[in-house]
Amino acid sequence: MIDAFAAEWYKLRTVRSTVAILGTVAGFMLLCLVWSWYVARYWDGLSAARRATAQAAAAEQPLAVSLPVCAVVLGALALTSEYSSGMNRTTLAALPRRPTLFAAKAGVAGALMLVAALASLAVGSGAGHVIVGDRAVPTFQGPAADVAAHLLWLGLTTAAITLVTFGLGAVLRSTAGTITAGMAILFVLPALAQLLPGPWDERVWSALPGNLSNQIAGTPGSSGGHGVLDPPVAVAVLVAYVVVALGAGAYSFARRDA
Amino acid sequence: MVDAVAAEWRKLRSVRSTYWVLAVTAVFTGFVLLLAVQMAHVWDGLSAERRADLLLRPLQELGGWVASLCLAVLGVLFITSEYRTGMIRTSLTALPRRRTLLLAKAAVIGAVALVAGEAVTVGSFLGTRAVIGGRPFPDQKASIAHDLPGFLVAGTVVPVFALLGLSLGVLLRSTAGSLVSVVFLWHVLPLLVFQLPEPWSERIGSVMPGGLAHQIAGLGAENSIYGDLLPSGTAAAVLIGYALIPLGLAAFILVRRDA
Amino acid sequence: MIEVRELTKRYGGTTAVDHLSFVVRPGTVTGFLGPNGAGKSTTMRVLLGLDKATSGAALVNGDRYTALRRPMREVGALLDAGAVQGGRRAFDHLGWLARSNGIGARRVTEVLEQVGLAGVARKRVGGFSLGMRQRLGIAAALLGDPGVLMFDEPVNGLDPDGVRWIRELMRALAADGRTVLISSHLMSEMELTADRLVIIGRGRLIADTSVRELADRFRRGVLVRSPRPAELTAALTAAGGAVEPMPDGAVTVTGLDVAAIGDMAAARGIPLYEVTSHSASLEEAYMELTADSTEFGAPLERQAS
Repeated sequence: MIDAFAAEWYKLRTVRSTVAILGTVAGFMLLCLVWSWYVARYWDGLSAARRATAQAAAAEQPLAVSLPVCAVVLGALALTSEYSSGMNRTTLAALPRRPTLFAAKAGVAGALMLVAALASLAVGSGAGHVIVGDRAVPTFQGPAADVAAHLLWLGLTTAAITLVTFGLGAVLRSTAGTITAGMAILFVLPALAQLLPGPWDERVWSALPGNLSNQIAGTPGSSGGHGVLDPPVAVAVLVAYVVVALGAGAYSFARRDA
Repeated sequence: MVDAVAAEWRKLRSVRSTYWVLAVTAVFTGFVLLLAVQMAHVWDGLSAERRADLLLRPLQELGGWVASLCLAVLGVLFITSEYRTGMIRTSLTALPRRRTLLLAKAAVIGAVALVAGEAVTVGSFLGTRAVIGGRPFPDQKASIAHDLPGFLVAGTVVPVFALLGLSLGVLLRSTAGSLVSVVFLWHVLPLLVFQLPEPWSERIGSVMPGGLAHQIAGLGAENSIYGDLLPSGTAAAVLIGYALIPLGLAAFILVRRDA
Repeated sequence: MIEVRELTKRYGGTTAVDHLSFVVRPGTVTGFLGPNGAGKSTTMRVLLGLDKATSGAALVNGDRYTALRRPMREVGALLDAGAVQGGRRAFDHLGWLARSNGIGARRVTEVLEQVGLAGVARKRVGGFSLGMRQRLGIAAALLGDPGVLMFDEPVNGLDPDGVRWIRELMRALAADGRTVLISSHLMSEMELTADRLVIIGRGRLIADTSVRELADRFRRGVLVRSPRPAELTAALTAAGGAVEPMPDGAVTVTGLDVAAIGDMAAARGIPLYEVTSHSASLEEAYMELTADSTEFGAPLERQAS
């Protein structure tokens, strides 16, 4: 098992797409700093009256939007890239115990994305708060514990989305299909859900994987409208997504011919 | 050129991914119509004052928005699947004039996407109108002839995304990289721009590809993440620019790069 | 006819092909030989206009490939048989290729029959074995009935039947008066197929010769064993042969062939226990020629040779 993890980690970190994805995450982390700098300047230019009502997205907003996308791509490529090149056969010859291999791949991909997300969020948000300083922008002045909880859950949902896409990739086996399906889950389904008749529009929207994080631990200082689920329910839904996707993926991976 | 177009057309229609993408697009359009049935049902149960808030237009436009993504994926796959398998070398051996090859690909995918785009946008519009029958939704009071041009324009955004996908595919040669870039332009970037404070969210939101059809048709951008600052001629020019500038860049690179 | 003149191709800092010149003439099968990484595939890619030459020229029928209007009618090429989209049917794969060069649909059926794939024409290429893909690639090359054919490692991965089929096809194509260039890293294969050989190593020309010339060049004489070596040596020297004694009492004769030596010994009543033509095999000749230019040779092996 440890060998399998080590081998998969070796594979993941020596492929160019991983570097590209982590580079993208780093790029959006820098965008958090630019964003914070911009908010600070914007705030300074506002009159006291407008400051009372002004809204500005939190420092980590660029990462909050882009991390799910990066998670979809990494989760999809972790398995489907081997199918498209035929390398999956080499891999299975080296590690014929498929459940172990599947767990190793999923674990490595999820862990990498979790670490990348948490690290970039911590740096992006921390530096953003330093840049904005003591200006009273509501989204930059939340209590440290709330901010930490918010970032932690952003990171955890990122890892969960990686795992969900990974499971999807094992079922679909196609890079293009998996990435497109992942993007549809992130962007098309919420738009569709909003068109459902009430109260289903809100209920369905709230249960979609991309919208769970803010219901578990929302952005401190931002106004509501994040969904209708209680935090424990949202966590349960998130876990259910991961379990179902990984289960379907593992079943497909173990049963079908390579 | 005729031979090249015919060959690319044969290529496009002899792989399964083409039919998958078109099927997903069609199924989604069907889904839009189903939702319209549901909305008509909801309408019947609402009081007069709540009816004034029930809009059909967002649903009617959803089909074109999703078709943009689907056909962009097809545009990406049309070239990156050749790079992935190495078949691009066979293509370039059969058609060594690379500009002609790219132009033929663009013509084929552009035409398919235009037909699909118009079918989806016009189909969504006429279909939802048929479904709601005579119910006077507040945003459906104009005649079909009056509203149709707006949907025809919306259909032209679909081939622009397909060509964007093709160009990005040529430039990046990677399916995953090109898909992500297309999705970024399609929705992630507009979402980020929407978060900018005024006036920048509206200024930049006005030049996002997804928001141009509204501006060309002279419609506003309420309830959308886009802006509406451009006059229709400028918006049309920007839309054409989104298709042609990346394509020109792709041609420039393709001609100079070793295959 | 294929002409490569002073061709140089660099990728960044590595020189893949270095001032290479050779000509491939019609009516012969020319083997393009060299160890892995010698620059064979690069040369073919430049010939097909896929990669641009850093300097020099690579011409087919006197033109750059990219200047040909319907290239498949003049040049047929098989580079990498695996490079096909698996989701497409064999018939459609050849169909779009034919369409791109204004070749009629009937020709598709013809070449499919010619390479023995008519039965699987409607099957998706993804399910093909390596040998079937190789045949499909050859069908694509033959599609335009071209006068010039280029095949990159065509026998890779084929079973003995397939190898023999390709060998006979190549010879038949050359016999029609076509120009046939086959790259390979196996001399043993080229020995049976090719008339002429262009051997390169590290991007440079090592030999441009016929198979026979190469064999002659590496002829090492005839090994003769006899109980009366002194008498034999005198007789052979008188007949114009050069005789070199071997440590075990046998002699190596150069300048006379086996028949001449046998006749002479019989005429003088000298018994012969062994007469062996001791030419180096083409394989050995090739190994010797390319010994200094293998890219990935194991260091120990290189010392041993």
